[in-house]
Amino acid sequence: MKHILTLVTMLMMWPVSLLAQDGEPLRLELTEGVIEPLPYAVPDFISDNAEGAEFGRNMARVIANDLSGTGLFREIPDKAFISRITSFTSPVQYADWKAINAQALVTGSVSVDDTGKLVARFRLYDVFSGGELGSGLQFVGTQAGWRRIAHKIADQVYSRITGESGYFDSRVVFVSETGPKDQRAKRLAIMDYDGADVKYLTDNSSIVLAPRFSPTGDRILYTSYESGFPRIYVLDVASVGRRELESQRGTMSFAPRFSPDGQTVIYSLTRGGNTDLFSMDIRTGNSRQLTSAPSIETAPSFSPDGRQIVFESDRSGSPQIYIMSASGGEPRRISQGKGRYGTPVWSPRGDLVAFTKQAKGRFHIGVMRLDGSEERLLTASYLDEGPTWSPNGRVIMFTRETPGANGQAALWSVDISGRNLKQLQIASGGSDPAWSPLQN
Amino acid sequence: MNTGQIISGAGHLGLIFWALLGGLFSPEPLPVETTDVSMISGEEFAALMAAEQSPDAVAIIETPEPPRIEDAAPDLASTADDTPDLSQPDTTQETPPDDAPDVSRITPPDVAEVSDEAPQLTPPNEEVAVMVPEISERPRERPTNRVAPIPVAPSEPDVRIDDVAQPEVAPDEAAETPQDVTEETAQEEANTRIVTEADSLEPPSSSLRPRSRPTRRPEPVEEPQETQTASDTPDSTVNAALQEALATPTSAPGGPPMTRGEKDAMRLAVQRCWNVGALSSEALNTTVVVAVSMTKDGKPISGSIQQLSASGGSGAATKQAYEAARRAIIRCGATGYDLPRDKYDRWRNIEITFNPEKMRIK
Repeated sequence: MKHILTLVTMLMMWPVSLLAQDGEPLRLELTEGVIEPLPYAVPDFISDNAEGAEFGRNMARVIANDLSGTGLFREIPDKAFISRITSFTSPVQYADWKAINAQALVTGSVSVDDTGKLVARFRLYDVFSGGELGSGLQFVGTQAGWRRIAHKIADQVYSRITGESGYFDSRVVFVSETGPKDQRAKRLAIMDYDGADVKYLTDNSSIVLAPRFSPTGDRILYTSYESGFPRIYVLDVASVGRRELESQRGTMSFAPRFSPDGQTVIYSLTRGGNTDLFSMDIRTGNSRQLTSAPSIETAPSFSPDGRQIVFESDRSGSPQIYIMSASGGEPRRISQGKGRYGTPVWSPRGDLVAFTKQAKGRFHIGVMRLDGSEERLLTASYLDEGPTWSPNGRVIMFTRETPGANGQAALWSVDISGRNLKQLQIASGGSDPAWSPLQN
Repeated sequence: MNTGQIISGAGHLGLIFWALLGGLFSPEPLPVETTDVSMISGEEFAALMAAEQSPDAVAIIETPEPPRIEDAAPDLASTADDTPDLSQPDTTQETPPDDAPDVSRITPPDVAEVSDEAPQLTPPNEEVAVMVPEISERPRERPTNRVAPIPVAPSEPDVRIDDVAQPEVAPDEAAETPQDVTEETAQEEANTRIVTEADSLEPPSSSLRPRSRPTRRPEPVEEPQETQTASDTPDSTVNAALQEALATPTSAPGGPPMTRGEKDAMRLAVQRCWNVGALSSEALNTTVVVAVSMTKDGKPISGSIQQLSASGGSGAATKQAYEAARRAIIRCGATGYDLPRDKYDRWRNIEITFNPEKMRIK
């Protein structure tokens, strides 16, 4: 009886269900897409005068280099353009840009105002959607700072398309290296992230190592052999003035790094043949020992929240990566693979640790999760070491040295996916890069 | 004596009188079936039992007729064999002797010159390069700028990169009608995953999947009917009957339902343009459901595209994920999706879930 009632009820509902099915949409699910550079176009920024035209052309080139340099975008050359941008306020002919498969279009104008300031404006269009992506923006700066304005525009474009902050308006401090291997001159240098505008911060009278930016980018910690022993110095970027941090006689201090609040410096100190981690209040100079094992503890790096540190230790017999509380305590080992691990650096996003790995006679730059899982080796060469994160945690820069007596150290970068491995084009050799935060 | 005993005694007496007077013990015998029997001897009983146990042999077998013998005796006459010729061979004929071998033609072997001195060996040339056959290296994946579900081999250097691969067509000069010139194009090289420098130095753990034929549309495959087992529900027979009734396709006003092959073709077409390479890691954790209305010629109506729902990401990440999905629908539908026109009512409105779960690990 129950079955009959069910059948009758369902048959009564049959026409209704048929109607509903007819009006229902077709449902599909996609779980796989493609990963390829997004095609975009950046015509020269238009200008009212010849002075501005030069800036307009150069700024478009810097923006294009920034975007294409990520490996996520591919510029469509201007030879393929069908229509030209003649006015910043005129409507865009989307069909012309669709025809050349430009998915994003950056237009802009640049001018020099009465006070000599450079005024740059830009708009970003989603060509296939036929609309603007975000609002137009205007930047005002000095004429000498035109590259920074271009980097800021590129950051905006990158951020609006990818959904994460950019890293183009940032700088890199590194050790500039010149001369043969056995007589190599080293000095601190600072440059734009893309290798432009190199400036030297120290002379080459003494060996310098491992510079590190403060969280605000205005100071740099580094190690110098100026006194004959490795000592930690702090340098003001604007004035290039420097001072030595408090140190104890008969010790060697090195591998310094700022805490996220910029008030504490964590570093390694060798005393009596043993190397341990210490932290120092940079205002008072008071220091505190964090580890006391008979092994070598070095290369500390803070987590973004400042509560933990990741460092390198050979307490297990070979160099491995450990994490412990920023105030000390029992560390836990996170590197589990075969080989020697070193120079760990916590990602700005907080989810990954970059490291150097030596295994089977090769050096690698890699990343792993905080528990050591999902280890991925991004590079492989004769000598790769010293990773540093871009401000948005998307790119890693590192040192690559070629073998032989004439081998050179150079700066390279790679996307955390392992793509877009490339060498920075700078005049001299370089090592020990440290990426600054985004500039204000 | 109480009243009960009196009643009981009277009852029993009554019953006895009824049995005696009512004919309960009358001498008339009950009807019994009878049958006649006959007495047989022990031999007859034994013969009877033996006949019951033996197999049934009632078939009549014809006795074979003996062969007929001819009355006349066979002719046994024979002829004697001819006497063999026993004459002796003629022994007077002499056979010629064999030719004697010509010994003069045999040359004696050369006498080997043996010396006590060790032979002079020519030393081998120094620095002789021995060409050892090289073992061909295993194919290694190369880092590419493009990751796609279907790998694409690198094209010739002069070939133009395009979304669709097509061969070069040169005009036939002898043809009477003018012919179009088609430039050779190839798809951009692609891997199924990101190959890092560290990966590219190691042999691949598996070979690339074979390249699929690009232009052929998948054969329509009928969707398998959902089968129900007896253990599903007690109402399985009712449901089966109802499903059978609902499965009549010709009565649906929107035409026959979309086959799995047609749905897959549409899904693959959108997937080809769903570029997640520029998405942030958070956007890659975001799933968005996007609705779009279509024109009859298979083109998406841009204004109709809207986000129905999203999960897994923040507002900014959701926006980027939606924009990527929107671009995919519009880009690959610019010339119209290859959808069955007779089933327009089935795909007039489409909801697509963009779930990049498989792209996070690439």
